[in-house]
Amino acid sequence: MIRFEHVTYTYPDTTRPALRDVSLTIPAGAFALVVGTSGAGKSTLLRCLNGLVPHFSGGTLTGRVSVDNLDPVARAPGGMSRAVGFVFQDPEAQFVMDRVEDEIAFALENAAIPPAEMHARVEAALEQLHLTPLRQRKLETLSGGEKQRVAIASALALRPRILALDEPTSQLDPQSAAELLDALVRLHKTLGLTVVLAEHRLERILPFVDQVIYLPDDGAPVIAGPPRDVLPHIPLLPPLQALAQALGWSPLPLTVEEGWHFATQCLEDLSTDSTDFNGLKRRKSVSSVQSVDNQSVDKNTPVLEIRDLEAAYGPTTVLRGVDVALYPGEIVALLGRNGAGKTTLLKCLVGLLRPRRGEVLVEGRSIAKRDVADVCRQVGYLPQDPNALLFADTVLDELHITLRNHGIAPEDAPIAPETLLERLGLADKAQCYPRDLSVGERQRVALGAIMVTQPHALLLDEPTRGLDYRAKAQLLDLLRAWRAEGLAILLVTHDVELVAEAADRVLVMAQGEIIAQGNPAEVLRASPTFTPQVSKLFPESDWLTVENVLAGLKPRS
Amino acid sequence: MLHAAAWLVWLIAAVSVVSMTRNPLYLTLALAAFMTTVHVIRRPGETYAAPLAPGRFALFVIPLAALINALLSRVGETILVAIPQPWPLIGGPITAEALVYGALNGLLLTAFFVAFAVLNLAVPIRDLIRFIPRAFYPVAVVASIAVTFAPTTLRQMQQIREAQAIRGHRMRRLRDWLPLFMPLLTGGLERALQLAEAMASRGFAGETVTAHPGRAQVVSIVGLLGVLSGGLLTAWQQASWGWVLIVGGSAAIAVALWLTGRSVPHTTYRRAPWGYREWLVTGGALVALAGFLCWGGATRIYNPYPVLTWPAFDTLAGTALLGFLLPALVVE
Repeated sequence: MIRFEHVTYTYPDTTRPALRDVSLTIPAGAFALVVGTSGAGKSTLLRCLNGLVPHFSGGTLTGRVSVDNLDPVARAPGGMSRAVGFVFQDPEAQFVMDRVEDEIAFALENAAIPPAEMHARVEAALEQLHLTPLRQRKLETLSGGEKQRVAIASALALRPRILALDEPTSQLDPQSAAELLDALVRLHKTLGLTVVLAEHRLERILPFVDQVIYLPDDGAPVIAGPPRDVLPHIPLLPPLQALAQALGWSPLPLTVEEGWHFATQCLEDLSTDSTDFNGLKRRKSVSSVQSVDNQSVDKNTPVLEIRDLEAAYGPTTVLRGVDVALYPGEIVALLGRNGAGKTTLLKCLVGLLRPRRGEVLVEGRSIAKRDVADVCRQVGYLPQDPNALLFADTVLDELHITLRNHGIAPEDAPIAPETLLERLGLADKAQCYPRDLSVGERQRVALGAIMVTQPHALLLDEPTRGLDYRAKAQLLDLLRAWRAEGLAILLVTHDVELVAEAADRVLVMAQGEIIAQGNPAEVLRASPTFTPQVSKLFPESDWLTVENVLAGLKPRS
Repeated sequence: MLHAAAWLVWLIAAVSVVSMTRNPLYLTLALAAFMTTVHVIRRPGETYAAPLAPGRFALFVIPLAALINALLSRVGETILVAIPQPWPLIGGPITAEALVYGALNGLLLTAFFVAFAVLNLAVPIRDLIRFIPRAFYPVAVVASIAVTFAPTTLRQMQQIREAQAIRGHRMRRLRDWLPLFMPLLTGGLERALQLAEAMASRGFAGETVTAHPGRAQVVSIVGLLGVLSGGLLTAWQQASWGWVLIVGGSAAIAVALWLTGRSVPHTTYRRAPWGYREWLVTGGALVALAGFLCWGGATRIYNPYPVLTWPAFDTLAGTALLGFLLPALVVE
């Protein structure tokens, strides 16, 4: 059992406490989900469980934490290692050894477990996480999902009764994330582990959770309890719960299955109200009406054109015969599993990788003979990890550095850096150190550093990875606003809900080829892995988002 | 996979043999054995970076060494060409003897290089780290982490370089390294901190608890003094007493390490088995070394100056060198 009694914790050199008077109890054998925006204190709360806070972070902690009747503050992380297993966000940053078995055995070697028992325990841990076939593999050859499973197996080697996981899926694609969460549910059931999980992807995990701990970021008291009691207090929810709240469905459905009978009910009401079934068709999509109100933009000339592109890394062909055109004022989403060649395509588009055949035209000009820096004045590219971009002392400096790189004086900039920061919602952070900001804010700083030259096309690689619902909503607003001004946006993503909200056109890539393209409603529903929650709820409609449903259900007058 | 210790014995024997001779026949024979071993143990798909492939290394180093030596050393009686004296640096006679001597040096370098290439291919660095005594367990863990950290850092460097290029960064001055270096440094520190947290969570304390700190320290100091004074004695023409002190001192240091190691609570997961293959490989290497020492005799020495002669060859010594081929025969 885990108990927090009036715990307040403040990081060193800050005045605002990260945890304010937190009191809660997690019973033994519970599956507890910790939710809240980035920076609300989820990681801090988890780190209190094994004494990493305050032993690693410093700062002051008042109140009392008790974990399995042990005091983590007194025992320190080393002393808690047999009681609490800990899994971190980044699978790469937690490995000490290079092979699967050795990594799992590391904690056991430290604890001087006799060899015979050690072998038995490693065997059991491999079995529990379905890693036996991978036991001899080098860690660097594993996929992200497999790495996280190794991390869990390593954390379980000392047989703790509690497993704490700090956003373990934020670096994974949806498929691997789903597999990881399934593994957790299995462990929880078969071993009776107490699981404490901080997580942004609520959709998948809500059905299995018996306690939700919500940390509001405005300093309001922590809310903890069964999911149906806590969820209504959370401002941004997955589409299913958001819709349920908007339509007053009770009890709150936690799974799509639970939502079905409400959905059927809704459609029956609709059909008795009127015989007009046109509601099921999306009202002439709001987005296409909005798009390109700027008449000066020529909608028919592509900003970016890819013709018969073929690219390879050494002898392996990664892209084959790719033809894509990107027009002003549209958001095109590129979907596909890991390794399908999506990132490679983006690299070809800005010249980071030279194609083997075919060409890339930016506003009618081939990029074959131009260097990357030159192309990127016209085509903005946000890579997966925005941290690789940031190095200046302040947010404003990051924007100025890009201008200086391109030899543009700040007063000649196509958009004043201060104005751009304001649009990005970062006006009050202009003088902050970029790396101190939250994930979402750092991403927007990186966007600023790219967009300050006002390129006509923007490429984004997995922009919602690791973002909470609020940061995602902010990004969506920004992309929609830029689209309305005529920016051509190519969105490489796994995030089906984002595609449903934003995309005008969807491309699906597999093994280096575009295998499907068309309007979102058709393409997304054709494949079960890409179906948004709302489509699952109303399979006969072509609704994709909560707004579609609300607009469609509104009785026509 | 053979036991790492077997490979170490093989390497020590190989390096000893190579460093004891300049006879081109023996050198070529040994090199052929090493090359065969490289060829057999190389896993499919694993390739060297082009300039470091053993064959290419030989093709580059041997002619280069020959050329440099021919230009530097004008000794020898067989003059191949005489470059006019007034030409700076290259002027003067070029002799066949100097060319051959230089090529022999190149051959020697190549043999060393290929012997180490075998070890590099056969034994993961991590298995070598296991030879660090248990008393230095934290050092071993740090070394092991460094091995993991290096490739990740290279990957990150590539990512950062690309990220900076897309915001218009070009490399022109020294100052332009800053945008690459700063994210790498901060990213590396962040990762190091995360790793420290992960290790602490898994019970790695990093500190050693010594049960008898006094005893181990006294023994190790005595050992060190022994080795030092032994070294001094050998320099003062008292070789036999010197060696006694050096050996005794080393033994004392080993005992001190064992004493400290015993008090570090730690067990090992991976126990590499030592089977007949390991016996064959170490046996083969030791036979090669012993046979070469025993029968090689004067034929080990070869000097092309002042006039080229055909090197002598002892069949038994040459046959002994084939002992280095055993790994190629027993590795599956």
